[in-house]
Amino acid sequence: MAIRRVSALALRIVRQFAHDRRTLGLVFVVPLLVMTILNFVLNSSTSGLTLGIVPPDGPVGDALVSQIKAELVGQGSLTVRTVARSDVDAALKDGADGVLVLPPQIGAGATVALRLEGSNPAAAQQLKGLVAQLVAGLPQQSGAGGNAVPAPPSGAAALNVSYLYGGPEYTQTDALAPLFIGLFAFFFVFLLTSVSFLRERSQGTIERLMVSPLSKSELVLGYVFGFTLFALVQSLLILLFVVYVLRVHYAGNLGLIFLVTLALTIGGVNLGIFISAFARNELQVVQFIPLLLVPQALLAGLFFPVQTLPVVLKQVAYIMPLTYANFALKDVMLKGFGLDQIWPYLAVLVGFAALMIVAAAVSLRQERV
Amino acid sequence: MAHDSAGGDTPIAITAVTKTFGNVRALDGVSLTVGRGETFGLIGPNGSGKTTLIRLLLGLGRPSGGTVRVLGRIMPNRSVAPQIGYMTQSSALYNELSARDNLAFFATLYGLHGKALARRLDETLTLVDLQERADAPVATYSGGMRQRVSLAAALVHEPQLLFLDEPTVGIDPELRQIFWDYFAQLNTRGVTIVVSTHILDEAARCHRLALLRFGKLLAVDSPDGLRRESGEENFDRAFRYFAQRTAPAGAAG
Repeated sequence: MAIRRVSALALRIVRQFAHDRRTLGLVFVVPLLVMTILNFVLNSSTSGLTLGIVPPDGPVGDALVSQIKAELVGQGSLTVRTVARSDVDAALKDGADGVLVLPPQIGAGATVALRLEGSNPAAAQQLKGLVAQLVAGLPQQSGAGGNAVPAPPSGAAALNVSYLYGGPEYTQTDALAPLFIGLFAFFFVFLLTSVSFLRERSQGTIERLMVSPLSKSELVLGYVFGFTLFALVQSLLILLFVVYVLRVHYAGNLGLIFLVTLALTIGGVNLGIFISAFARNELQVVQFIPLLLVPQALLAGLFFPVQTLPVVLKQVAYIMPLTYANFALKDVMLKGFGLDQIWPYLAVLVGFAALMIVAAAVSLRQERV
Repeated sequence: MAHDSAGGDTPIAITAVTKTFGNVRALDGVSLTVGRGETFGLIGPNGSGKTTLIRLLLGLGRPSGGTVRVLGRIMPNRSVAPQIGYMTQSSALYNELSARDNLAFFATLYGLHGKALARRLDETLTLVDLQERADAPVATYSGGMRQRVSLAAALVHEPQLLFLDEPTVGIDPELRQIFWDYFAQLNTRGVTIVVSTHILDEAARCHRLALLRFGKLLAVDSPDGLRRESGEENFDRAFRYFAQRTAPAGAAG
């Protein structure tokens, strides 16, 4: 095993794509474009959100409501209106997306509740995010008034969220970001590897590699490194884009996201090498997409939560690597879970990668005969 | 050098080699040896087994019968890879990369780096007369230029044993002469060359020729020897003469 040969191969792959502007655009710009479109599609229904507020009793309440209104100015087209304590559910049925219920008496031990309409997950999620920020920000502002709202340990923790319809599992807006990082990394790495490997065969360069001192393990490693680099740059770009441009809520550890993406990518590269053995041209590689990628996109939790799938489909979902990548990425990004909690998912991904490496090696073994 | 002692004076020794693909006998009982510093030509129509023979010599596949010995090792064997250069029938290059990047990549696989790498890149690019276009993507090259890069890629690591599968297809006659002059130069440095060709002018410049037909060896001799034995000046006619002899030449010398 020579690091120099492996890195030469990885570097060559990077160089090839550096000259190929169209592919670079495909890998790096298209995911951002898709995320932007999704963002608009999902959030278009959230324009004109209405938040009801049940104020604390007395003049303190009026002051607090006007303070909250001032706070929420500039948060898009959010309308804030005051709701009577007894009319919370009526207000929700009457078009309010959520009602923030403040305690009658502001003081120690008082909890703030948010009741969401819930049938529009995107709206519910956005409102929840806004209110969480708002509640987290409250103590400082009302602190000037002396005996104010107790400081919550963290923004969302003090917030008691309930739903009129549905429940928290309905909130998918934020969930899309981690899912798409996994999907894009897997999809592009698979597609690019299988096409590059196919070209390696069709233009005859694989024979030069086979005749050279490069061993098969070095060949596989070089490919893994070269494409992993692309996948990591891609996921970093998507992550930064969704967090800073699309402003998606994000709680987890960046290193852990990379680790999950890495395991998924290694699986994708080797699946690509393996699949390229069954394709004679680029079109045939594309023909594998409906077979290998579309079911994963549909069943791995992107569009329908895995838990809600019919039993048979659920079992199919549980043999798909993307499902586990999605679980892991979701847990890390949305729940802020650590390695100690997501390791079973990561282990499945590593197992999948190992299986694909074996498959790729077997397909390469036939190359010599 | 180590490879000399390993290969001795017969870097290539093939004994009773057979290769079958399903029902097809691509090679049928071929035996021959190639000496050090020799240019050995493989001649025969398409499908005669030339490429199969070269692939077995390269270790790209296992003979169905018999043994293929290269530089003293029974093939396939990876340990001889550093001493071997291979120019494929198609140009086999990365189209997105420049000639220099292609050569640098292949050279690095053979362990070249730093100053030695830079020196070899300059030498081989000069040899194939591509210094001026060396940094343009190979995709923009003509067929002849691609063949030149392909040859350079086979030579860049200074192999002791060079396999050329129809190396001068698509190359103009002037450059072909330059290539063959260089091959002769390599021979004097002890480099052994195995070349398959259709071009009779090239066949005449080989030290010895093997005539192949339907995977069988018809004859192995020097160009002059083949002419003398067949009584034909022209290789096409000489080839027909050997093909019409019922008994194949079999093991040759």
